[in-house]
Amino acid sequence: MFGMNKKKQQTKITEQKKQQTDNLPQDFTISSSNEKFIQHIKQKIHSPSDLICKVISDEIRIIYLTHLVDGKSLKEDILKTLEGQDDWTPRTIFEKLPIPEMESSSNFKTCIQEILKGGVLIHVEGFSEVVIAKITTYQTRSLTAPENESQVVGSQIGFNESLPTNVSIVRRYITNPNLCNEQFTIGKHTNTSLSLLYIHGIASEDQVNTVRQRIQDLDINDLIDSANLAELIEDSSSSIFPQLLLTERPDRFCDGLLSGKLGIVVNGSSMAIVSPYSFFEFFQSREDQNLRWPIGTFVRLLRFIAIFIAIFATPMYVATLTFHYDVIPQPLIIPLSESRAIVPFPPVMEALLMELTIELLREAGARLPTKVGQTIGIVGGIVLGTAAVDAGLTSNVLIIIMALSALASFTTPNYVMGNSIRVVRFPIMIFAGFWGYYGLMLAFCIILIHLLRQSSLGAPYLAPFYPPRWKDWPNSIIRLPLPLIKRQPTNTAREESNNALINRSGGLRGEKVKE
Amino acid sequence: MSKTSQISNNEKFNVSLVFFIITTCQVGVGIHGFQRLITQQAKQDAWISVILSFLFAHIAVFFMVKTLQLYQTKDLYEIHEDLYGKYVGTLFNFLYIFYYAFAFFVVLRNYIEVIVTWVFPGLSQGFIGITILLTVIYAFTGGFRVLVGIAFFSFFSIIWIPFLLWFPLEFAHYNHLSPVLATDLASIVKGAYTMTFTIVGFEILYFIYPFIKERKKAEKFAHLGLLATLLLYLFIMLVSIVYFSEKQLERTIWATLTLFSVVRLPFIERVEIITICIWLVILLPNLCFFMWAAYRGASRIIKIKPRAFLSIFFVIMYVGILLVQSRYQINHMNNFFSQWAFIIVFIYPFLLYIFAKTKKSIKNRVKNH
Amino acid sequence: MNRKKVFILLLSVTLFLFGCAQTRILERISLVTLVGYDQDQEDNVKATAVIRQINPNYESSIETQSETEHTSKGARTKLDMRTAKQLMIGQLRVVLFGEELAKSGLDEAIHTLMMNSEISTSTYLAVVEGETKPMIEYKYETITDIGQYLYNLLKHNIEQQQSISSTLHEVVRDKYSPYREFAMPLLKKEGEHIQINGVAFFNNGKMVGRLPADDIYYVVLLSDSFKHGTLELEIPSDNIVSKSKQSGNLQIAVDSIETDRRFDLVSVKPAQFDISINMKCRLLEIDSNVPIGNHQVIKKVEKAMSKKMEEEINRIFKYSQQVNSDIFGFGEVYKSHLSESELKNVKWNELYPDIKAKIQVNVDIIRNGTFE
Repeated sequence: MFGMNKKKQQTKITEQKKQQTDNLPQDFTISSSNEKFIQHIKQKIHSPSDLICKVISDEIRIIYLTHLVDGKSLKEDILKTLEGQDDWTPRTIFEKLPIPEMESSSNFKTCIQEILKGGVLIHVEGFSEVVIAKITTYQTRSLTAPENESQVVGSQIGFNESLPTNVSIVRRYITNPNLCNEQFTIGKHTNTSLSLLYIHGIASEDQVNTVRQRIQDLDINDLIDSANLAELIEDSSSSIFPQLLLTERPDRFCDGLLSGKLGIVVNGSSMAIVSPYSFFEFFQSREDQNLRWPIGTFVRLLRFIAIFIAIFATPMYVATLTFHYDVIPQPLIIPLSESRAIVPFPPVMEALLMELTIELLREAGARLPTKVGQTIGIVGGIVLGTAAVDAGLTSNVLIIIMALSALASFTTPNYVMGNSIRVVRFPIMIFAGFWGYYGLMLAFCIILIHLLRQSSLGAPYLAPFYPPRWKDWPNSIIRLPLPLIKRQPTNTAREESNNALINRSGGLRGEKVKE
Repeated sequence: MSKTSQISNNEKFNVSLVFFIITTCQVGVGIHGFQRLITQQAKQDAWISVILSFLFAHIAVFFMVKTLQLYQTKDLYEIHEDLYGKYVGTLFNFLYIFYYAFAFFVVLRNYIEVIVTWVFPGLSQGFIGITILLTVIYAFTGGFRVLVGIAFFSFFSIIWIPFLLWFPLEFAHYNHLSPVLATDLASIVKGAYTMTFTIVGFEILYFIYPFIKERKKAEKFAHLGLLATLLLYLFIMLVSIVYFSEKQLERTIWATLTLFSVVRLPFIERVEIITICIWLVILLPNLCFFMWAAYRGASRIIKIKPRAFLSIFFVIMYVGILLVQSRYQINHMNNFFSQWAFIIVFIYPFLLYIFAKTKKSIKNRVKNH
Repeated sequence: MNRKKVFILLLSVTLFLFGCAQTRILERISLVTLVGYDQDQEDNVKATAVIRQINPNYESSIETQSETEHTSKGARTKLDMRTAKQLMIGQLRVVLFGEELAKSGLDEAIHTLMMNSEISTSTYLAVVEGETKPMIEYKYETITDIGQYLYNLLKHNIEQQQSISSTLHEVVRDKYSPYREFAMPLLKKEGEHIQINGVAFFNNGKMVGRLPADDIYYVVLLSDSFKHGTLELEIPSDNIVSKSKQSGNLQIAVDSIETDRRFDLVSVKPAQFDISINMKCRLLEIDSNVPIGNHQVIKKVEKAMSKKMEEEINRIFKYSQQVNSDIFGFGEVYKSHLSESELKNVKWNELYPDIKAKIQVNVDIIRNGTFE
């Protein structure tokens, strides 16, 4: 067991070495002298005040950054063990220290890396090899319910900011030897570690290679959040629609992995990336699967209708009132025109003004503490709305339509996509205000073409509708009963027409997976 | 051997999409008012003319596929060069480029006319032209896959038409249909001939063929696509005959749109205004594919960059829109176009096939000896 | 990147160069909901329009204006000069014609309406007894918006088949058919009310005759596939109520459930038709003395009703022949049996007054209420 672990770690070291060669200066060797080694370390990391060097015995020195290590483990496991015996060699230390995660390295750069990550360096006089005890501890948030993607039925656990925790959650969902975890460290200044997760045998090799390549090719100084990574590795970052899913839900993440997608977890970010993701999948929620299937279907269709309401309701109002009064049926024409009787602006101005107000409210609500946020909602929504109508600055019909479309835009289960939907309304509204229904259709065509031009990790963005994968249609439009879901979606299949079989009724997934 | 342009696997598309491309390339502006011209010839038997014209179309497609099968990976431009040699082939290619540019213009100009007449009498024609052209160019620069995608989605904006046409059936007088076959055959054939303007578009098969993944099945889907269009046109024709009185139909310029204007939904009046605007989505594949076909030819004859081609194309179309102003000119243009299209779409494929076949067999015989 | 910049630049240039289409913002225009045309001296047409405007008190005000001009467009331009907001006719719902104008011909008026793409083809057309102007301009006590009132009046009566349908598209269709004529409802101002007072028959675009309101039922029944509607009849009471206290006639009201009308061309020369009408109906009202539980009696009632209806329909058919206005579509049936060459010399107009028709009505009472 132990040997195997070591071997694994060994390969990992070489891998890291390979990646980090160009990040670090030339000097790789470790001095066999205690003093020199400590001096090197201090020099390298500019002798920070939280660097502690402890003398255990004449030969042994331990070096660490005090805020990063677990004090209890340091005291009880390392210090006690080391003090209890003499004549240690790195090898015996490595074998005898009761620390689960250890590494033995003769690479100076690795030592620097590890100490910065919270490792304890144990140096023995006369050896140019250092034992690294990884007893890192730092405060992480406890696992709470995902706040931005809450759902009623289903698990209530969300990712937090720690990479190991997040990976462990995924491992708990998918206990499978084929779950691959590839670690990368990117960012010259931040050295952020991230994990690429996928299930070997279900995920497409091509896509894994693409993502790996893209991550390795990144030449950046810093990486703070996974959203930045997503922007850097997606196909077209100039589009207003996201092409990779950012989720804080482990169940949604694992769902993706199980249908052959790739996941990326970035340390320090509670949002994990899932790719490739198609446009329509953004509007599906994990909850659809948790509800009974007719209800899940209903909710899913409702959400599709909501997209159209969100995008087209206000522009329709603008176009109709500005140009196409003849389309209004007779019973509606009186209430409509009376409500707008003293509004001084043309409909497009009116709508833009009010939509802008709603966006302001949303933004203010998102930035403020929850309690104040609620107050803002009430003040903005009720007071401002009523006052605007009373003052004759807007018509109450518009207020209704706008509230409806705002509501519809928030049904999108993904916040990022919801934002895109809301933003895309503004140009459409302007088109509608200038050229009526013609402008509306023009905008629709442009958006359609835009969506057709996008791809997510090389996979078509509008799949499965275009290119038509007829067999994937049923489960995309409605939520099929689980026993009927037999195939993996083509978008992530290893080769076209060679989809892994998915058997949900029998309990086993991925039958074709190689053992 | 002449050079064959390489088509990457990425650009190839699924054979079932041929169905959508054929249908959406056929349905364009002709459908707005094709009933009028045909009834002027074939009276109440106009629907037979529709069927007859599609019969011809099926035959034409049959010969097209046969010709293409002789050459497998080549499109028509390459076949021309191969068949007639460099110079004559180029001449023929020029004709086709011109045909497609003309077709593009005809579609664009007719649609502008409809918009200006029904929806925005005050909107500048040049403006509509420019916006549509820019949209098409945006699609064009996205690559061939995007064009096929537009055709696919556009098909779903055609589907609602038959449903909407149930409403005028409320006012139908079914005895308008009889007596069946009372008009003489010549008029029916003449009616079928006037269908040309509405039916063309499927000749795009000549150019998309090399892009199809499983070419063997292409013929089936091309015929299915024709059949779908036939059903649509036939239904519209039948509804028009039973709804309009004969003399009225002969005077109604856009009979299909007039049919829409009868529809009364509880929440919308004047459905035709909305449908005209939705027509933009229906036209898009027409325009995109015509432009693309013209570009394929142009890039083959002179090594023209897409951007240069698009700029020239844009300017020509815009100037064209400014030049063709009156309804009279448009009608004249449409007539001229349909005469020309008839030769290119219905007669030429047959001749081409015979020519290609004989040439091949002669070649084979020479080889064998 | 460069290409994109050029694209965006080009786009914005077009946006600003061509500006926008002429706006027609709902509350900044005046909507014409009703237009009445009257004959004036010397071929001129007097147009009276009901114009709806929105005032700042959130109320819509109704205004009527009238103007005389050669063309209806000319009249509109003149009216425009007198209204605060631009006149728009996209919401036009009803067009009325004065009787005198209708008699001198509506060809031009209808053609103008049809040509204008702004006007909905579902607009109702009707003829007014006398002139339209006094009817439109009168300040009714109960009617605030005469445009809307007339639209609703026509709409619900047509939907319930108590009046013949005369939307613009139907009138145009019949007008351009050489084998059919059109008819319009006839409106009349009756004190404080407006009522449908009959049917106006047209021949070649000119009003040639009229039938009173009581006959509308039969006109609708004969001209269209009549679906449902209430019919009141007077049938002779003999044979039905044996111990009849009051001899003479029996009042009866039925509600038709399903009606089927057929014209069959029996012979071409001379043109002869079989008109057969099958009606399934529900008994609504009948004299309490009639034992409707009795099958025989019901049969007798049915027979008497059929006979009565045959008489009425015959009368109406004869009237339409008399004024030579084939609004029922006999001509189309005739035409559908003849080939193009045979029709060449046929002028249905000349033929119609002499055609023969055998009328057969078959009434079936299938339901008769909850109490016998």
